[in-house]
Amino acid sequence: MAAPHTTNRAMFWRIIRRLFGANRGRLFVMLLALGSGAAVTAALLNLQIDAKRRLTFEFRAFGPNVIISPKVPVAGDLVATMNDSIMDAIPKSVGPYRVEATSFLYAIATVRGPRGGVPVNAILAGKRGMGIRTASVTMIPPPTDPDAPGYDLVVPGDLPCTLGVQVAKQLDAHVGETISILISGRKRTCKVSSLVETGGPEDSQVTVMLDFVQRLANRLWGISDVEIMVPGTPKQINDYVSTLQKQFPDLDVRPVRQFTEAQAKIYGRISGLLEFTVALVLVLTALCVMAAMTNVAMERKMDVGLMKAIGGSMRRVLRLFLVESALLGLAGGAIGAAAGIFLSIALGKAVFGVAARPRLIVYPVAVALTILVAIISAYPLRRLAAIRPASVFRGEA
Amino acid sequence: MFLRLVADSFGRRPRHKLLTGAALALGMGVATAALSVSLDVGDRLAKEFRSLGANLLVTPQADSLPLEIGGVDYRPVNAGAYLPEADLPKLKTIFWHNNIMAFSPVLEVSANVAADSSELTSSNAGTKVQLIGTWGSHPLHLEDGSTFATGIEKTNPWFRIEGRWFSEESSQPRRVNVGPNGHYYVDAPNECVAGVNLAQRMKLGLGQQMLANVPDLEKMQKYAPCTITGILSSGGPEDDALLMPLLSVQQLAGKPGQYRKLYVSALTKPEDAFAKRDVKSFTPTEYDRWFCTPYISSIAFQIQQELPGTDVRVIRRVAEGEGQILTRVQMLLWLVTGAALLAAALAVGASAAASVIERRTEIGLMKALGAGSGTVGFLLAAEQLLLAFVGGGVGYALGILLARLLGEKIFGVAPEPSLIVFLVVVALAAGVTILGSALPLRRASRYEPAPILRGE
Repeated sequence: MAAPHTTNRAMFWRIIRRLFGANRGRLFVMLLALGSGAAVTAALLNLQIDAKRRLTFEFRAFGPNVIISPKVPVAGDLVATMNDSIMDAIPKSVGPYRVEATSFLYAIATVRGPRGGVPVNAILAGKRGMGIRTASVTMIPPPTDPDAPGYDLVVPGDLPCTLGVQVAKQLDAHVGETISILISGRKRTCKVSSLVETGGPEDSQVTVMLDFVQRLANRLWGISDVEIMVPGTPKQINDYVSTLQKQFPDLDVRPVRQFTEAQAKIYGRISGLLEFTVALVLVLTALCVMAAMTNVAMERKMDVGLMKAIGGSMRRVLRLFLVESALLGLAGGAIGAAAGIFLSIALGKAVFGVAARPRLIVYPVAVALTILVAIISAYPLRRLAAIRPASVFRGEA
Repeated sequence: MFLRLVADSFGRRPRHKLLTGAALALGMGVATAALSVSLDVGDRLAKEFRSLGANLLVTPQADSLPLEIGGVDYRPVNAGAYLPEADLPKLKTIFWHNNIMAFSPVLEVSANVAADSSELTSSNAGTKVQLIGTWGSHPLHLEDGSTFATGIEKTNPWFRIEGRWFSEESSQPRRVNVGPNGHYYVDAPNECVAGVNLAQRMKLGLGQQMLANVPDLEKMQKYAPCTITGILSSGGPEDDALLMPLLSVQQLAGKPGQYRKLYVSALTKPEDAFAKRDVKSFTPTEYDRWFCTPYISSIAFQIQQELPGTDVRVIRRVAEGEGQILTRVQMLLWLVTGAALLAAALAVGASAAASVIERRTEIGLMKALGAGSGTVGFLLAAEQLLLAFVGGGVGYALGILLARLLGEKIFGVAPEPSLIVFLVVVALAAGVTILGSALPLRRASRYEPAPILRGE
């Protein structure tokens, strides 16, 4: 009994091979249809997964979205500060993305422009990014008596500072000029390295290195607030904030609602839109491939008629065509999906300026979908069961 | 005869035509939906981005530097310059006045507040808070007689208020104490909103009475009583402040009819390379183009022209973030729409090809009866075109429905049906049908009638 079975199987595969070889043009059309379908599917799936992640990252354009500050902003007449060691305790990443934190110390200083003139009061902001312990500053151990001689920073060269446009206008200062800063009797000069215009409070501030303000304002290790840029989905940001709140119960940790809320809203809208459109395109692509495949399948009337005429049972004939379709789907899907992933890399580069990272999961999904579509497309062949071989050969139908 | 043939073809195989037509309609429906949504999404998202609040800040040109730490301005009241409130309706007369979504003037002073006047005996007594005077929800009467509803509720939409905003109408004349002995009455609103942190610190609740006192230059004590109508949670420095109607703070600060900062929320087009160029380098035509495009820079410029003596600055954090994300999302959507159009074209082309291939016998017969390749091709093309117009039309209707559904689900507003989309879709339907039929038709024109009729 084994021998006929083996022969049957050998015959089966032989017919399949012949089916492929019989009409090169048709094979090419089918592979093209399946392949382009798979390419569009893979490209869109990959782009969609990547776009959603990338979008959350794009929101960093809004800048810091979480702020840590002392619970009571004003302690007596002084601005309250906290110890800058909290910078080391802030979690440094959310998922794959790095969290960026900057600490600030603010003080009111009297600033005089390069050509003298009337000194003006301005906010002096000391700023330090996470982990960037400025190497150009030689740290002197803090003396116990701030009025003792030598209580100053030793900076090689000029101390650089950034001026807000409004300060620059009032002082008539330009890049490269030197201004002087005075806080409670202590005076220092700094060289304007750049001007900023943000439309925010930075426009009326003088920004220098944090250590400098800490020493000048006699607030060693003190900071006024920490601004944190947390990337990620709205949920990830919320989780991050509640972690921080647990970690620093004595401090005020708050999301900048203006940005986090708008972000959540817009993220929801965009990802909904994207999901819907991608689903639409996928369904359509499936329909398109099916239309093309069904069209080709219907041309197989003669083959089916012949097979039936020489005694093939409908089940076996159908199985033959289904296997053929599945194999075509596999081949078309494998080639198309690979092309699609490369396409999405290029598209990602066009939209976000950064190539989309290929996600491995997309590949098997796209191939499986293509095989499924190919098999479903062969299904109308069932209708051919009703065909009588004789009428096919007579040219009727 | 020609028309009869076409009509006959439709009548004879209705199911077949229906199928091809359905494929067409489906494809074009998707194309319509994708196009409508993509065309609409820029405006829609730009509106969504207004939930970020103001993107322009107007300050007096001659102002001193604000000494702001943690949202508290440490400048004394007499320092710096102020702007007239009476000029504000002019904002709605600029070229892009319809794009001005909302604005709110702000006047801030430091004040001492207490729940009881006995605590406010000296100028340093009570709790020191920032008093923010602004418009809560303010109907502004414009020159053309219409009313524009604006206020901080609109410029800072992330503000959450428990209770309600203060009313700006005065309910009763208020007694203003001048010094320990004298007093006078003024018409003034007497409601206020407390920041959530302040309310917690001072254990304030809705309906409670408060007294505010601004230490004045002339050492006069001005007490303003107010009833708390709302507790504000903003996630910002306003949480520690007391918010009052602008009118109240103007009186307390002795700056009637004046404000210090104006927040403007404007609907803008993301800045492109053109908008980033220096205005001075523009030729007159370029200048007109810039002026007549709602770039944030041109709107800022127009506001500055309308409100003399001001500095109009773009809040870059909001405006640039918005522009960047909007550009990216629009590009992404156009890409996906492109893919949808391509997929739709492929589907329609394939079904058009299928319908021609299936009619080999008919073509053979026609040729046998003496029809030339041109006539046959023309007949079939006419049929396909008719199908394309019908299918495209139905598809457009279907797509509009789909777009409405999508728009309403995602943005709560349906996109407007547009004529351009209709034309594009019908042209696309005709184009891809002809293209899809062209190849099989060309092959059909080479058919020898005899073998086909024999069934080979």
